[in-house]
Amino acid sequence: MTSDPRGWVIAKDMSDDAADVQRVLAGDVDAYAALVDRYYDRCARYAIRMLGNRDDAEDALQATFLRAYRALNRYQERDRFSAWLYRILVNQCRSVAARRAHRDRVFVREEALLLNAPDRTPNWSGEDEEFVQRVLNELDPLLREAFLLKYIDEMSYEEMSALTGVGVSALKMRVKRACDRLRDRWERIKDD
Amino acid sequence: MTESELHPFVESIAREARRPVVTDPAARERIMAAVRAEPVPVRQSGVWSRLVAPRPFRLSPASIGLLAAGLVGIGVLVGDLALNRDGQSTAERPSGAVAGQLPVSDTVVRFVYVAPRATTVYVVGDFNGWDTTKTPLSRTSKDGVWSVTLPLSAGRHIYAYVVDGSWSADPHAPLAPDDGFGHANSVKLVRGGSSL
Repeated sequence: MTSDPRGWVIAKDMSDDAADVQRVLAGDVDAYAALVDRYYDRCARYAIRMLGNRDDAEDALQATFLRAYRALNRYQERDRFSAWLYRILVNQCRSVAARRAHRDRVFVREEALLLNAPDRTPNWSGEDEEFVQRVLNELDPLLREAFLLKYIDEMSYEEMSALTGVGVSALKMRVKRACDRLRDRWERIKDD
Repeated sequence: MTESELHPFVESIAREARRPVVTDPAARERIMAAVRAEPVPVRQSGVWSRLVAPRPFRLSPASIGLLAAGLVGIGVLVGDLALNRDGQSTAERPSGAVAGQLPVSDTVVRFVYVAPRATTVYVVGDFNGWDTTKTPLSRTSKDGVWSVTLPLSAGRHIYAYVVDGSWSADPHAPLAPDDGFGHANSVKLVRGGSSL
């Protein structure tokens, strides 16, 4: 097993994944732990960056690995396991974000207070994880999703399209808008 | 756009966000505990796949009324969640379904999809057994408008489009809850005389 420059853990020739899936389907449940170990960190990074907090991210991760397990008998080996798993993860993060949006509307007053809170870190040095997460959270979820897939998971637009079901041109537009929003954010920081 | 073209601030945000995250080691154990509580998945045979494939079923008129009332409530909730998640403008979508589907008669629904460069467009859903070759849309104009008219039973239907072999949700309809297969699907509510 190796890591590629994007930080993805790559199973040897994908045979590790296929072998583990076969072992699970043969009744060796513990073989699934190898798949969880192999992909958990990468999935966790996406979920935390996408959802902005660890509790929601853990919910999405648990649902992702559980759903993948339940559907393992329908996984087709011609597909990359990592891509198949990531499709489930992206959808789970969307579901958790949608549930949270509904939940948060119940607490409009608290949300308004947060939005009106002063920016505590206007002089960002470039290494403040909390600030980075806050800036990402300010993006519309669809823009954030596209930005993360492109620049954090470093996928091609074709990979992103296969994963999300969204056309390449629409994804390019979303990434561009995300970058524009972030540049606008920088302008506001400079003016503070 | 390549990363080298990124604004320095955007690039630094991306670089920071790419750092590995610290995770709770116990979280993996919780996942495996939940997995062990599940039945072991068994590879499906062709016969089993056919047995468990989605298919239409019949209900008595009284049951349909009760079911429809419940489904409308669920559908409204799902639609509300999905639409609030999807805050983008329509201008961001260069192609896709036009204003959802148009009601034609009591149980007949017209599916419309805009894909100027597509060579094939199919609709798949619970109403056709998710068969990706069963229900093609026909190109109805030079502008790339594809459509097909289908009779649908009252109730909530889950569907998607397959455009040149790629699965695509209807961008103008509420998204269905995840199907566990990684596909984004859409929700269609059909009730007495209209298609929502």
